[in-house]
Amino acid sequence: MSILQNMAIKHKLILIIMLACITGLFLAGAAFIGWERNTCRDGMVRNLSTQAEMIAENCKAALAFQDAQDAKETLQALHVEPSIVFGCVYNKENRLFTSYYRDYAEIKVHPSKFQEGGFSFADGFLTVFKPIVLDGQTIGTVCLRSDMSPMYAMLKRNISIILIVLFLSSLAAFLVSSRLQKVISGPILSLAEVAKAVSGKKDYSTRAIKQSNDEVGLLIDAFNEMLEQIQHRDLELVDAKNQLEVRVEQRTAELTTANEQLTREVAERKRAEEQLRKAEERYRTQFEGALDAIFIADAETGIITDCNPAATRLVGREKSELVGQHQRIIHPPEVIAGEFSNSFKEHLREKQGLTLDTQVITKKGEIRDVAIKANLLEIRGKKLLQGIFRDITEHKKAEKRQGQLLDQLEKTNQELKDFAHIVSHDLKAPLRGINTLVKWISSDYADKFDEEGQEQMNLLLSRVDRMHNLIDGILQYSRVGRVKEEKTQVNLNELMPSIIDTLAPPENITITVEDELPMIECEKTRIIQVFQNLLSNAIKYMDKPQGQIRVACMEEDGCWKFSVADNGPGIEERYFEKIFQMFQTLRPRDEFESTGVGLTVVKKIVETHGGRIWVESKVGEGSTFLFTVPKRRASVEEEKLLVSLNA
Amino acid sequence: MIVLVLALFVTPFVPKARADSTVSREYQVKAAFLYNFMNFVDWPEEKSSDSNEPIIVGIIGSDPFGGAFEPVKNKKVKGKNVVIRRFEGLKEQKESDENDQEIEAIRECHVLFICRSEEKKLKKTINLVKENNVLTVSDIEGFPEAGGIINFVMEDQKVRFEINVTAAKRAKVKIRSQLLRLAKRVVEEEPSDEAKS
Repeated sequence: MSILQNMAIKHKLILIIMLACITGLFLAGAAFIGWERNTCRDGMVRNLSTQAEMIAENCKAALAFQDAQDAKETLQALHVEPSIVFGCVYNKENRLFTSYYRDYAEIKVHPSKFQEGGFSFADGFLTVFKPIVLDGQTIGTVCLRSDMSPMYAMLKRNISIILIVLFLSSLAAFLVSSRLQKVISGPILSLAEVAKAVSGKKDYSTRAIKQSNDEVGLLIDAFNEMLEQIQHRDLELVDAKNQLEVRVEQRTAELTTANEQLTREVAERKRAEEQLRKAEERYRTQFEGALDAIFIADAETGIITDCNPAATRLVGREKSELVGQHQRIIHPPEVIAGEFSNSFKEHLREKQGLTLDTQVITKKGEIRDVAIKANLLEIRGKKLLQGIFRDITEHKKAEKRQGQLLDQLEKTNQELKDFAHIVSHDLKAPLRGINTLVKWISSDYADKFDEEGQEQMNLLLSRVDRMHNLIDGILQYSRVGRVKEEKTQVNLNELMPSIIDTLAPPENITITVEDELPMIECEKTRIIQVFQNLLSNAIKYMDKPQGQIRVACMEEDGCWKFSVADNGPGIEERYFEKIFQMFQTLRPRDEFESTGVGLTVVKKIVETHGGRIWVESKVGEGSTFLFTVPKRRASVEEEKLLVSLNA
Repeated sequence: MIVLVLALFVTPFVPKARADSTVSREYQVKAAFLYNFMNFVDWPEEKSSDSNEPIIVGIIGSDPFGGAFEPVKNKKVKGKNVVIRRFEGLKEQKESDENDQEIEAIRECHVLFICRSEEKKLKKTINLVKENNVLTVSDIEGFPEAGGIINFVMEDQKVRFEINVTAAKRAKVKIRSQLLRLAKRVVEEEPSDEAKS
């Protein structure tokens, strides 16, 4: 088969045609020979049977009357048929009755086997047996033998004729097919030539010539179409190639630029890395040298990954004992909830960057208070929590001591206040008794006292009064810190006239309110007390025939600044502080009845309201008392008003 | 004709078991031949009209065959049964009614074998049946010349036969050529002397 595959197409065609021709002829010849042989044999059998029949008929009587001679004579008639080489007649007992031979030795052609009837081919002879029937009874058998060689000779001749015909036909078929195969192979070969040329020279403009309208013609059409497409593609390819070159150049240029950029970037990166390294070094230095302990732990697992010397000092463990351990080991059990310590959890949750107070435990089991500030860092995709621990154990202790001291002070203060209150309160009762008693004595014994005695009695009474006032002042003062009134919105404009009315100033003194006074939030009775005290002082010490007192108010630094100014005697500057101290008066007691408590109470009230008080004065010209009240919780309306005023 | 050689051992109709002294080999062969003759002889229409009618073989005179017909007794010839009848020989002078009856029976025969005992009355016997299509057979010397049709003769101890064709023609019995070919002698003459017998 591979031989057939490698053959040229024209040889294949010739071979196929030849094979078909020869096979057909050979089969026809074989059939003819076979048929001829059979016909011949049938003819011979029929012929010989007829002969045997005739012999049988003629030998009937001879056999019936045992006349062998007559039978022999009958058999002699066979000599006219040259192919019959032997004939004989058997009697009823199948014994040889008579026989006939033609020029051959008896034994050579003697039938080997007796048969009742029929024929057989053997050893190149046809043997026919025919029974001799007389009146329905078999009385003997005729046997004839015929030589087959003439038939075989004829067959041989026929075979040789057929072989000659076969040879001649093959020759003719070869000649015809050699010429006719070009009809099929010609176009294919030319197509192959074109294909070869195309593939060899890469010349896609070549076209195969169509010679017929059969399948080969279709093939050529398809081939040409294919070539056209290839040509088209080829052109496109060339274009694409050119474009590609341009593009490659562009890309190369881009690449070069990119490369340069990359080099720059690399350099920059190196620089950055250097900086980073330095930064890291700096960080490391800071980390190592920090006074505060720094722990770095994995945010997810809580395993400590790094710590600085301060940290080892803080918990009293070596670095090797800490790194790789869970952060729990540095905290006492009380501050650990679940997996992590409270502070660790909280820092992770939302309090990152906040300072939280907690405790750590040293290796020896010593508990230390620490303040921790922690930040979440992300280094190489890993979340780390950096915690900076400051040991606040000493600070805490100090704070505690301070608190204790403060408490003590408060307590002492309170005791003192209570004491003042109790003392003044309790002192008032005997004093009242003394007063009553003095009054009784001076009235009951008025006739018994002389003038001097009377005067002494009056003096006693006034001293008791003063005593009473002093105690009242102290009581008031102590009440300021002790009793707290609820703060309300107070409209000073409404309040001021009633205050002035209560004071009932003499006619030579005029009190003017210069500005619109604001609404302030304060303890109402206290603020009344302030104004009362300041105004009463101004009235009391007025030395001019025409007294002028002005109340004013202005806004300053988020505070209301009130001023009460008079044209009284004025105060020397060295007394500016002293006047606000308790029991301090600038005049002798006997000249002006004064307890020296008023301004102290005022100062205390102002200060409890978050303000401050001071005085400005010139001796002989008058003095101005100024105090502030924070605007802090001024009403919304007030603010709106202010905004509109400012606008 | 040609001298025939008859092989001794080829005697098909000799029943070995019945071969006794009373029936000689010769007559056994003759009996067989007698049957075979019927195969090669054709009687005219009037003689063999009815196929159911048997073929009658008459034996006149003292029967020499004995049991020779036993083996062939049931054999059919031309599809017909064969009946053997035996007759006494003809009387010299008298012609009684009895005889007339017997003569009719003799004339009905298809084959009439005339025994040697009838040699003297041979002519008369032949003349009796010459008009009646009867195949006359005998083994008396000079039988054909006397107007008989087939006569057995012995040659080299073989049974052979002679045929008088003219007699056969006269009796309107057709003898086939095959049989004729086998005859030792074929006679074609009229009876020499009709008046003499």
